[in-house]
Amino acid sequence: MGAFVRVLASVKTALEGGAHREPNAHPGARVMPSAPVVAPAANRAALVSSFARELEAVGGHFTGSATPEGLSAQIIEISDRVGALTVAIGGDGSFDSEPVAGALEQSGRDVIRCGVTADEAARRALIERIARADLAIVEAQCAIASTGTLVVTATPARPSALTLIPQALLAIVRADRIRADAAEAIVALGAETIANHRVAFITGPSRTADIEKLIVVGVHGPKQLHALVLWPADD
Amino acid sequence: MASTHNNFDFFAASEKAIGDTELRRKLANASGHHLDAAARTRAEFPRYDEEREAARRIKAEAIGRLDELLLQLKQRLETNGCQVFFAADAAAARNYIVGIAKRNGLKRAVKGKSMTTEEIELNPALERAGVEVFETDLGEYIVQLRHERPSHILTPAIHLSKEDVGTLFHERFGMTYTNEPERLTAVARDNLRSIFMTADLGITGVNFAIAETGTLVLVENEGNGRFSSTLPDTFIAVMGIEKVIPRLADLSHFLEILARAGTGQKITTYTNFITCPRGHSELDGPREIHVVILDNGRSAMLADPVMREALYCLRCGACLNACPVYRRIGGHAYGYPYQGPIGSILSPNLFGSGAGFLPFASTLCGACREICPVKIDIPKMLLHMRAKENRNHLKWPRGASRARRAVARFARLAKRPRTVRTLSRIAAWMIRPVVRDGYVRWMPPPFSAWTRTRDFPAPKSAPRRKPKSGGV
Ligand code: SF4
Repeated sequence: MGAFVRVLASVKTALEGGAHREPNAHPGARVMPSAPVVAPAANRAALVSSFARELEAVGGHFTGSATPEGLSAQIIEISDRVGALTVAIGGDGSFDSEPVAGALEQSGRDVIRCGVTADEAARRALIERIARADLAIVEAQCAIASTGTLVVTATPARPSALTLIPQALLAIVRADRIRADAAEAIVALGAETIANHRVAFITGPSRTADIEKLIVVGVHGPKQLHALVLWPADD
Repeated sequence: MASTHNNFDFFAASEKAIGDTELRRKLANASGHHLDAAARTRAEFPRYDEEREAARRIKAEAIGRLDELLLQLKQRLETNGCQVFFAADAAAARNYIVGIAKRNGLKRAVKGKSMTTEEIELNPALERAGVEVFETDLGEYIVQLRHERPSHILTPAIHLSKEDVGTLFHERFGMTYTNEPERLTAVARDNLRSIFMTADLGITGVNFAIAETGTLVLVENEGNGRFSSTLPDTFIAVMGIEKVIPRLADLSHFLEILARAGTGQKITTYTNFITCPRGHSELDGPREIHVVILDNGRSAMLADPVMREALYCLRCGACLNACPVYRRIGGHAYGYPYQGPIGSILSPNLFGSGAGFLPFASTLCGACREICPVKIDIPKMLLHMRAKENRNHLKWPRGASRARRAVARFARLAKRPRTVRTLSRIAAWMIRPVVRDGYVRWMPPPFSAWTRTRDFPAPKSAPRRKPKSGGV
């Protein structure tokens, strides 16, 4: 407590002593545009194609779009392409992930479902299992068209580890949740979500340029990033 | 503010660096690459200047209301379940962090890239307390293996070639020599993966702390910051007081300019938002989050109306890449964790008068001000600091007036290595009596502090006048 008072006092004194206190001289940023919760349908195609282009530009793979009915088949196709035998799947999305998990199992794959664990040992064990997954599947809360970014919030059934430790990541995003830019995505997320969840903006596979500025992907996080756009049934 | 950072002789180091054509090639290559990429990305983004103005305005507001915002940030973080510690100086921050490690019985720390923890010299303190410390950013990992310090705030191993890294990995891990970045990166990934899975302490810096929501924002490309802030049970974020921004809505303006200025990306691979510890039903995330908010000379900068602007810095690294002096001499010559133009301003303020000569190591060409995403007027501050250092009788070694003038004129000379070499020979001659085996073992005050913790290679010209038998 003492340290806090001391530091704050030095800051206060510095501000006042400088006679440069301009409390509201700078009204700050432009007021945040209040983005509609759902992107207007007319823009949707343009936003999807911009998202796809930018994602590819940073080394991600745009794997096309799917309807709710075609989703499982498409995911199995992507799993084949990745060569994934073990797939970890997250829940808490806008669609039921169980049919997808079932279809993956039927295709002969080992499926890891995420959820609440009984105790510390089970928790550690589940993280270890996820770490060995060839592919993780999550739904992104939204995406950013101007940068090819996927915005993923962590929940009990969609832990952070899913988007971090498996070899490859497949993120599914609904077409009506692709925003134009970061400002709109942050509005769409809202302070409430950010205050209650860990959130990650993910733009392409993990990368480094620490050795002679040569870009290498997959340094710590996923080596591959795939994104699939889901067109809602009412579209 | 006594510090062991100042164990370096700028004369000797810059002379050595200027003569090192291989280093110059690496620096030109790397900073040129960043500059080109950044210029391209900015050209494709018509709103760049608008966003830059907005970001600058927000920083001005945040710094002008710093007391209020720090109080708000503290309250929000605590409401979210984080523990907040304000540290007046580096020692207080170190002691607090070491205290947590001892109390929780922590043994293995993984770190994301954090210049602030370099500033407070955290690693040796943790190691003394029995904690193994692993730098996990690839560049930091490489320099840690070489027992070096980062030479660039953004790309710590910029001074090394892929051959250097290949040799290092060959020697340290016994792997077959290769200079292929993919294979070297794969080895680092494997080594660090097992360390991440077993670490009990994660430590990172903070790029932005949002007062409104009590959220820490961490940007990075590799994912090591995400690992460090997700898997270990205890997570410590270390930030300077200047990192606070008022509102969530402010953030996008910074995200739009930070990577565009630094690496030429539109946005970094990961932008991590960390607000609260792991809930009962959650699989991961730290159980304990500590936020260390560091003053360490920053409030003194705040009190100086000219210096205040330096607190806007986003640590994007662009001014280093653009600086003709940095591109000649590299980061190590500066001798402090913050290098280049902004480093020459921060170091004397954060580390004391030992770094007082740094503001003289600039050509005042203005490239830094031009490229800075928040338009910090670095040349103006350098002049201000030169005047201040002169007033405060910046201490140069006795009889060093010639060398002193040489540094004061470094400006024009940086472009003429031969001249610098000659002048540095004068410096070399001055330290001749204390050179042994090519290393400077001892220097007269005030430079004695520089050699306290580390010997440094003597300038190349010194051995010419080698003392007859073993020296002093
Ligand atoms: S001073 Fe400006 S250009 Fe230099 S690191 Fe800071 S923000 Fe970037």
